[in-house]
Amino acid sequence: MHLTRGQERLLVDGTAAQRKAMGILVAIGELYGARGLVRITSAHVAGASYKMIGDPGLDFIEDFARDARVTVPTTVNPLGTDLRQWKELGVPPEFAEKQARIARAYEGMGVRPVYSCTPYALGVRPALGEHVAWAESNATCFANSVLGARTNREGGPSALAAAVVGATPNYGLHLDAGRQPTHVLDVRTKVRGFGFSLLGLFAGKVLGDGLPFVRGLVGGEDDLKWFGAALASSGSVGMFHLERRTPEWRKARTRGLPTVRVTKADLDATKAAYTTADDADLIALGAPQLSAEELREIAAIVDRRAPRIPVWVFTSRAAREACPAAVATIERHGGRVLADTCLEVTLLEHRFSRVATPSGKGAYYLPSLCKQRVILEDIETLMERFA
Amino acid sequence: MRIPARRIAPGRAEGVALVHPAPFSFVGGVDLGTGRLLDPASDGPGERVRDRVLAFPHGKGSTVGSYVIYGLAKRGIGPAAIVNERAEAIVAVGAILGGLPMVDGVDVQGLRPGDRVVVDADADEVLLPDVKARPVVSVLLRNRGRVLLVQRSGKVGSFRGRWSAVSGYLEGDEDPRERARQEVREETGIRSARFRHAGRAVLARHEDTIYLVHPFLFDVPSRRVRLDWENVAHRWIRPAEVATFDTVPRLKDVMSSALSLQ
Repeated sequence: MHLTRGQERLLVDGTAAQRKAMGILVAIGELYGARGLVRITSAHVAGASYKMIGDPGLDFIEDFARDARVTVPTTVNPLGTDLRQWKELGVPPEFAEKQARIARAYEGMGVRPVYSCTPYALGVRPALGEHVAWAESNATCFANSVLGARTNREGGPSALAAAVVGATPNYGLHLDAGRQPTHVLDVRTKVRGFGFSLLGLFAGKVLGDGLPFVRGLVGGEDDLKWFGAALASSGSVGMFHLERRTPEWRKARTRGLPTVRVTKADLDATKAAYTTADDADLIALGAPQLSAEELREIAAIVDRRAPRIPVWVFTSRAAREACPAAVATIERHGGRVLADTCLEVTLLEHRFSRVATPSGKGAYYLPSLCKQRVILEDIETLMERFA
Repeated sequence: MRIPARRIAPGRAEGVALVHPAPFSFVGGVDLGTGRLLDPASDGPGERVRDRVLAFPHGKGSTVGSYVIYGLAKRGIGPAAIVNERAEAIVAVGAILGGLPMVDGVDVQGLRPGDRVVVDADADEVLLPDVKARPVVSVLLRNRGRVLLVQRSGKVGSFRGRWSAVSGYLEGDEDPRERARQEVREETGIRSARFRHAGRAVLARHEDTIYLVHPFLFDVPSRRVRLDWENVAHRWIRPAEVATFDTVPRLKDVMSSALSLQ
């Protein structure tokens, strides 16, 4: 792989963290046949939840933070609990203490203290054609597809290395050729709201690591967030094109591609396949974190018909602080609005075993990451059912 | 013996081989406190990875594996080096974080637990000082979907009575493909074989010798075969039937390699 003189210098004469970061980028670049590194304008790092990375991760992050400094604007994925409410949530003190150490270590490297899986909803909006290094599969998919920015599906350490160096290996989704579709996804049913999660779950499983060109779908930005999050969970999908909607759809070549047709029966079967519980102890919303607008909508729904089981809403700190009335409403009905954490990386398993959620990504990860059985259903139906 | 490899993480280290024959996850595969292998698929459960050359086909499982490798190295209970067939990002990043030399492109089934191994990532090679290399060609002849197996006679130097593909030793810096053609002529009398494909080398281990097997695929126009003294019988089989024959080591993998990309 070709390195500039400056990059060579970092690799040989940099600080310990710079040498390690360059080592990671070179190893990954050579593994995937990159010709060189490309400069990035932002990074989004995964691997901040103590539940996910455990003591080995804490150990590494603290050591690395000793002399690592990020050189581009960098955000970090959700933590394993809301550090302002952990006591009320029944989180063990040792867990909270180690979680706080991880957050401190990241902050010491100069990241924005925003622990979110939706940096695109918090003002980090790379422009069309801009190169970034984002981990967190839903953020990657959103950046590539909806914004037209360019990032591979980074892992935690590779995104952190890119943040320190300010560059990432130039291969895959950074190149025009890597952004061409592999399949046509022909949606033959009207999809709305919750249906975007079901469609994503179904398509990801069929496509594996493919890149779909989607036809027959109309949706807003929030709809595409739910679609992409589910798509990038059940499949290793880093990008989609949506006809007449996403910025690069005209450049996509679809001739001769295999077509996957989706009908209402496929979506119904997907909902049934991910529903493994017949009752629930908790209704959980988020995964990815809700936007401020979604938070207000949920508060209105809860206020109309309060459920008899608690509602936990996962959102960003910024959205929580922007909507005090919505937060108060949800809390008044026995619910919680949790910030800086998210559904599948948070500690749930110490209190619950059955969760109802409309999140496709949540339904995909809850059984393995949180040891939960799941009801996958749209929010209105859940509120009626648990009224 | 010298095995060419590809550098994944820089450095040079020496150690005794610890071979895990299946894809490996450091999360759940190694105890972070003791550095002992936990993975039940391992050939050495309970063995410590400390200072060993850990060889496995490729990594799998959780991305936290990178941090586990780092943790093992930091505590001084990690492996001396890592050897893979095909590296992936989790183990590669872990090796960089932990400062462990790592290479890939090595058929790890050629290694035995207990072999002394030098991993020289900077020179893109793995050395086995106590192991002899015997380069050989192994030629799969194909006719209408069937391939030829021959049974080795009592007069050959090794693996008498076992089933094999047409094969022979490579001498000096002889061209493997030319040697393959010549063996076909000698062992079967066939002069009109058409070269189709050269597969990736397979390391067939027998005691202190590694047969560095260069697999070839040739198409032949007929199934008429005239054996010489090296073999006593022949069969045209469907490739899947090889499992029912008593063969020379790793013939099945040699066949897969010769038939791949077809």
